[in-house]
Amino acid sequence: MKEKTYVEDVDRNMYDFRNDEKDAYRIKSGLTEDIVEKISEEKHDPQWMHDFRLNSLKIYHEMKVPDWGPSIEGLNMDNIATYVRANTKMKGDWSEVPEEIKDTFEKLGIPQAERTSLAGVGAQYDSELVYHNVRKEVEEQGVIYTDMESALTGEYADMVKDHFMKLVTPHDHKFAALHGAVWSGGSFVYVPKGVSVEIPLQSYFRLNAAGAGQFEHTLIIVDEGASLHFIEGCSAPKYNVANLHAGCVELFIGKNAKLRYSTIENWSKNMYNLNTKRAKVEEGGVIEWVSGSFGSHVSYLYPMSVLNGEGARSEFTGITFAGKGQNLDTGCKVVHNAPKTSSYVNTRSISKDGGISTFRSSVVVSAKAKGSKSAVSCQSLMLDDISRSDTIPAMDIRTKDADVGHEAKIGRISDDAVFYLMSRGISEEDARALIVSGFADNVSKELPLEYAVEMNNLIHLEMKGSIG
Amino acid sequence: MENMKINQLPSKTWNWLKMNETAVSGISVSGAHEGNLEIPEGITKTVCPAGLPDRFKDIAGGMGSDMDMLVKESAAGAVLLSADSDVSGEPARIRFAYGASEHSLNTFGILAKEGSNMTVIMDMAAERNDAPVRTGTTAGVSPAAVSLIEHAGLSSVQTKLILEKNAKVTLVQIIRNKNAKTVLNDIGAKVADGAKLSVIHLFLGGDKVYNGCKAELIGKKSNFTADIAYTVADDCMLDMNYVALHEGKKSVSEIRTDGVLHENARKLFRGTIDFKKGAAGAVGNEKEDVLLLDDDVVNQTIPLILCAEEDVEGNHGATIGKLDDDLVFYLESRGMALAEIYKMMAKARIDAVLRFVPDEKTKADVASYLESEGSNGCE
Repeated sequence: MKEKTYVEDVDRNMYDFRNDEKDAYRIKSGLTEDIVEKISEEKHDPQWMHDFRLNSLKIYHEMKVPDWGPSIEGLNMDNIATYVRANTKMKGDWSEVPEEIKDTFEKLGIPQAERTSLAGVGAQYDSELVYHNVRKEVEEQGVIYTDMESALTGEYADMVKDHFMKLVTPHDHKFAALHGAVWSGGSFVYVPKGVSVEIPLQSYFRLNAAGAGQFEHTLIIVDEGASLHFIEGCSAPKYNVANLHAGCVELFIGKNAKLRYSTIENWSKNMYNLNTKRAKVEEGGVIEWVSGSFGSHVSYLYPMSVLNGEGARSEFTGITFAGKGQNLDTGCKVVHNAPKTSSYVNTRSISKDGGISTFRSSVVVSAKAKGSKSAVSCQSLMLDDISRSDTIPAMDIRTKDADVGHEAKIGRISDDAVFYLMSRGISEEDARALIVSGFADNVSKELPLEYAVEMNNLIHLEMKGSIG
Repeated sequence: MENMKINQLPSKTWNWLKMNETAVSGISVSGAHEGNLEIPEGITKTVCPAGLPDRFKDIAGGMGSDMDMLVKESAAGAVLLSADSDVSGEPARIRFAYGASEHSLNTFGILAKEGSNMTVIMDMAAERNDAPVRTGTTAGVSPAAVSLIEHAGLSSVQTKLILEKNAKVTLVQIIRNKNAKTVLNDIGAKVADGAKLSVIHLFLGGDKVYNGCKAELIGKKSNFTADIAYTVADDCMLDMNYVALHEGKKSVSEIRTDGVLHENARKLFRGTIDFKKGAAGAVGNEKEDVLLLDDDVVNQTIPLILCAEEDVEGNHGATIGKLDDDLVFYLESRGMALAEIYKMMAKARIDAVLRFVPDEKTKADVASYLESEGSNGCE
C-alpha cells in the first residue's frame, strides 16, 4: 500500500491571538431598523447615507439566501454584532495607536511592511479604521488615500456619493444589501489622471471581536492613464461562535488606467466570508486580480470584472486552499461588454483533510463585445479521499465574433512524476512536496509576498517563485 | 403536466445565468406514437402496457424526476428490447414519423444481458419533410394562414437502459422532427462491470429540443461515451444535460460535443462528470466545440466536474468561436460562397459523428437528409 506524504495545513498560530474587548463600543446583536439607525447615528452619516442604509435593510429582508452555494445555516444574524468600535480614534502615527491594538498589527507585520515596501497603510480593527497614513511623496502626487468615513464628508464627498454602491448595488444579492445597511470602515482611494503610484498601498482588516461582523467598504477610482497596486489583507482569531465578513470592494478603472488588486484572505475558521468585489474597466484599462483564499469556514468570493470600454482587459489569478472544516467557494466573473475586450483566468485549488473547494466562474460575452477573447484555466488537486473539489464554469456567448476557450483539470499527484523525481535522487516525500509546490507556483509567484508579510507562514507547501 | 422543471444541473450555480434548470410548460400527452420497429433476430421485443419492469424504476434520467412523472401520468405503456448475445451485426431500427399536431410519448427499456452486444437506432423524424412552416418565415402566405400551420406538436421519448456485466449497447438517436414545437428526449442508464454504453446523438431539427442523458457507471471498468453533433438554426433552441456519474472503480466516460449555431439559434449545453467517493482510478473527459456562424446566436455552455475521490482524472475543455478568417478567405478564393462554406462546415461536424453510426442504411439516410435540408436544422 502506498504511503502518503502529509502536506501541512495552513499554519494559523500567528493569527490566533485575541485582545479583550475592554472599553469597546459594541452594538447589540441582531439586525433591526433601530440597530441600523444607531449605526448611522454613531457614524454621523449624511442624510442620503442614512436613507441608503434603511433602504438596503428593506432590500435585505426581501431577498432570499443563495440556494446554490455552501450552506450558511450556521450563520444567525440575531447573534452577530454588526458594529464594534475600539475605544480610539483613527491615528496617523503608529505611536499614537493604543498599545494593545498596535501590538496586534505589529505581530501581523504591518508597520514593518509600511516602513519597507508600502506607499500607504490603512489598518482597520473591528468596525473602524484605527490607523491611516500615506507617504508624503505619494500625497504630493495628488493621490487620495483615506478612510471611507472621512471621504464621505470631506472634499471628495460628491465623488463618493456618485460611486458608492453604484457598481455593487444592494439589489445584487442578500449580503450586498446587508453591507449597504451596516457598512463601516474601509478605504477610499483616488489616483488622479496620469499618476503612477510606484509602490503599493495596503489596507489590513482585523476582526478581533467574537460574534461580530466586519463590513468595510473599499472604493478605488483610478483615473485616466493612472496606475496603482492595492493590497488587501485580513485575519481574525478563532472563536467558537460564527463571525461574519461581508465587505464590498468597488473599483473604477478609467481609460488606459491600470489597477492590480491583490488579496490574501486568511480569516479564521469560524468566519463566514461573504464578500463582494467588482471592477468596471473603461477603454484600454486593465484590472489584475490576484487572490489567495486560505481562511474562513465558508467563503463566497467571486471578483467580477465588467469590461466596459473597447480594448479593456482583465486578468484573474487565484489560489484556494481548503483544509479541515472549510468550504471555500471561490472563482470569478467576467462580463465582456465592449469590442475587443479580453480576459484571462488562471486558478489553482487544493483540497485536503476533508476541505471542500469549489471553483465557480462565469464568462459573459455580450452582443456588443465583437472581437473579444477569453481564456479560462482551472486546475484542482485532491490530496486525500475525504476532501472534495468541484469546478462549475459557465460561458454565455452572444456574438459570433468572439474567441472563448476553457480548460479544467482535476486530479491527484502523478505517480510518474514522483517516480521521475525519485530517479533523480529526490526522496519521495520531497518529490511530492515539490510537485505540490510546483502546482501552486504559477499563481503564488503573482502574490505580493514581500508586502503581505503574513504570507510567509501561510502555507507549508514550500511555494517557490519570483515575486510578481 | 402544466409545469415541468427539467435538465437540472447536479450542482447549481448563479440563478441569473439561467442555466440551473429549464422550465417547460403546457406539456400534454395523448398517447404513444405508432413507430415503425424493425427488430432483428436475437433482440426480443416485449410490450409492457403497465410500463417498464420494476428493475428499471430506480434508473434516473438526465431530464430528472418531472420527466418520470410525465411518463407515469401518460400511462402510454412501454416497449422493452432485450438481448442475451452479440447481435450487433444488425441493429434494431425504430423510426418515428411524427404528424404536425401529435402529442406523443414513447417509453423504451433496453436490457443488455451479461456479455451481450446490441445496437438500437431511433430516428425521430417528421411525417413529411416539407411540412414545417413557421409564422412569418414563408413569403407569400398570409399571417393567418401561416399561424394555422405553425408547429404545435410534442414528441417525447424516454429510454432507460440496463447494461449487465460486460454488455455493450450502442444507442443512436437522430432528432429531426421538424413538425414538433417541443421535443423531449430522455435517457437513463445503469452500466455494470466491464459494460459499455455508447450514445450517438444527432440533433438536426425541432423548434425546441430538450435532451437529458445520464449514465450511472456503477460497475468496475464500466464505460460511457457520448458523441453529440448538432446544427441549430433559425429561432430554434437546443437544451442539453449530460451526466456521467462515476461510482465504479476505473470507470471511464467521454462526452464529446461538436455543433454549429446559425441565425437566431439558442443552445445550452450542460455536461457533468461526477466522481463519487470510491471511484478510484476513474477517468472522465468532456469537450465541446461550438462554431458560431451568425451574430444573433446565443451559446451557453456549462461543463462541470464534481469530485469526491482523490484517485481520479477529470478534464474538460471548451472552444467557442467563429470560423477562422484565413480559412474563410482561402475557401472564398477557391470560388465558394460564404453560404456554401457555412453549409460545408456544419455538414462536416455532423459527418464526424455520423461515421460512428454502425449502420450504413442510417448513414445514407441522414446524409441524404443533410443534402436536401442544408444542414440547417430547422430552416
